[in-house]
Amino acid sequence: MAIITKEKTTARAAPLSDKSLIGWLRLNLFNSVFNTILTVVTVYIIYITVEGLLVWGVIDAVWIADTRRACFAISLDGACWAGVVSWLDNIFYGRYPREELWRINLGGLLLVIWMAPLWLPRVKAKVTIGLTTVFLYPFLAGYLFAGGDKGLFMQIMISGAILCLVGNTLHAFIGVFTGKGLPEFLIALLGKKAAPEKSQRNILLGILAVCFAVVYMLQMGASFETVSWTKWGGLFLTLVISGIGIASALPGGIILALGRRSKLPIIRVLSTAFIELFRSVPLITVLFMATTMFPLFMPEGFVLNKLTQVIIAVCLFNACYMAETVRAGLQAIPQGQYEGAHTIGLGYWGTMGFIIMPQALKHMIPNIVGSFIGLLKDTTLVSIIGLFDILGMLRSISRDAPWLGLHKEPLVFGAMLFFLICFAMSKYSRRLEVKLSTDHKH
Amino acid sequence: MPDLNTQKTQSTAQQLASAASSEVIIDLDKVNKWYGNFHVLKDIDLAVHKGERIVVCGPSGSGKSTLIRCINHLEEHQEGNIIVDGITLDKNLKHIDHIRTEVGMVFQSFNLFPHLSILENLTLGPIWVRKMPKAEAEANAMMYLERVKIPEQADKYPGQLSGGQQQRVAIARSLCMNPKIMLFDEPTSALDPEMIKEVLDVMVELADTGMTMIVVTHEMGFAKTIADRVIFMDDGDIVEENEPNAFFNNPQHERTKLFLSQIL
Repeated sequence: MAIITKEKTTARAAPLSDKSLIGWLRLNLFNSVFNTILTVVTVYIIYITVEGLLVWGVIDAVWIADTRRACFAISLDGACWAGVVSWLDNIFYGRYPREELWRINLGGLLLVIWMAPLWLPRVKAKVTIGLTTVFLYPFLAGYLFAGGDKGLFMQIMISGAILCLVGNTLHAFIGVFTGKGLPEFLIALLGKKAAPEKSQRNILLGILAVCFAVVYMLQMGASFETVSWTKWGGLFLTLVISGIGIASALPGGIILALGRRSKLPIIRVLSTAFIELFRSVPLITVLFMATTMFPLFMPEGFVLNKLTQVIIAVCLFNACYMAETVRAGLQAIPQGQYEGAHTIGLGYWGTMGFIIMPQALKHMIPNIVGSFIGLLKDTTLVSIIGLFDILGMLRSISRDAPWLGLHKEPLVFGAMLFFLICFAMSKYSRRLEVKLSTDHKH
Repeated sequence: MPDLNTQKTQSTAQQLASAASSEVIIDLDKVNKWYGNFHVLKDIDLAVHKGERIVVCGPSGSGKSTLIRCINHLEEHQEGNIIVDGITLDKNLKHIDHIRTEVGMVFQSFNLFPHLSILENLTLGPIWVRKMPKAEAEANAMMYLERVKIPEQADKYPGQLSGGQQQRVAIARSLCMNPKIMLFDEPTSALDPEMIKEVLDVMVELADTGMTMIVVTHEMGFAKTIADRVIFMDDGDIVEENEPNAFFNNPQHERTKLFLSQIL
């Protein structure tokens, strides 16, 4: 029997799509009577909470005033942001001399210039750039911030850092425009492309030595006024402590983790004891130990300033946490990778450096960034032992005569600042993860 | 019970005739190994001549893999002597490293480095261990990729290749180190049937170049084609060794007969 359609089927409207806003709302928030009620109640609760915040923080807030009293005169219920605004310099830089603030800003700018090539396409040798950031930049920045007399060691390190900064930047420009590295470019420029590898290397070393000598002569004349560490403070101090902590935690953690997995019993026992000791003590205890007990163990006359002690304590503490993260990452690498590496003749360091670590670190990115964020927040504990980091600064606003009792606003501001920094770090780690896993497709 | 000693002398005579050279390149002397209390290798004696192709077979747990893994010291033997290319394997790390550069190994699970491209997988050893200039190492690597018939995959990552292709890359990776000896630990056991052939073909070609090879495998057809000598292991002993024709057509030992009847 044949089937004959009697009438033409009329076209109907498409079903609700959950891609459109209305469709999504209808399907997810208003799809039954009960859910509709829930939605309305929730929206009301959100409204009364946010409204309060909005009225306090924005609508009734006072932005410009000279004292807290003046704030109250304008609005009794609003936030007194004027206090935070007038203290902004203190919050960011602490009591660093105002006419020397450019040194901090320059230090930050140099770091940006130094690290920018890491994110530029076509630039080679990014690992080297990253390593120089960790090992050379701190000397340059340290002198910039602290000033004073330069010892021979500092002179050498500063010259190296300046040379490296210039080299990095040139290397990045050349990389972006030609896709070559700096050494390759120099060799081509001198027309020595055909020369054997050894003489090419000698030429490059010669250029390097001459440049180093020139930079060394130039930097000898320059020197900065000393700024005592007691004047360092605010966000600047927080970033200095956590920056050094972050930069040293990973290398330190890798060394400790390898030590803990070592076949040599002494190294293994020492690493394990060290890690477990620091991990079982709260950071604040370690900080107190570092500032009060540590000098007792040292020979007489051996005096480190409080900031240095705190930085050492933070570095060791975080290296131990990082060590456990790294160890977990190492354990995720199958035995076959070690065997594969051994069969092409790689020894211990070759196996670790080329095969195991690159894979393990990739797995560990979320955890590493997690501990970096934790580290940044933990450094606020130094305010308890009397350093005026950002938290210390925020809290001292309430003790400043014109702003006496102003607690809430500075802390809310601090919370927002921390959220901004930490959220950015966590977002970036997500991107890094996605990028690395698409790079290698497996 | 057949007399193993007479068998051994017979087979040694036969392989002496067929092997490329009479120089002994691997010499195992009374090698013993235990995993905990489990005696996995029992008084193993084995001499491999330069250019000789040996196939090792036997049931799982018989110690075949352990035997060849001892030769490049992925496993440590507890008693006896292993001499490879004139160097005695001992605790000296320099000796171990040296032997590993001379002995290539291919695994059941490929063990390629997933974070490196195929070309980087192949050039890592030559550049960092053999200190070869990069350009030369890359040219060399491309030559071996041609030989295993996948030069077009050079810039991909291992995860993008099929199992058979990965195993051929693994063979090429070992060959790039220009080894004197190649060990194969069940190279085709993790592969689909149609990929087994492409890997075996590469191995047959390699055998034709006169490479010294020890192959642990269940591919008896392959054993018949290339082996100078077949070794049957059971329970940590070398139960029977013979040239392939005699081994397959006229096995002497009861265990060998049983094993062959099960797999052929």
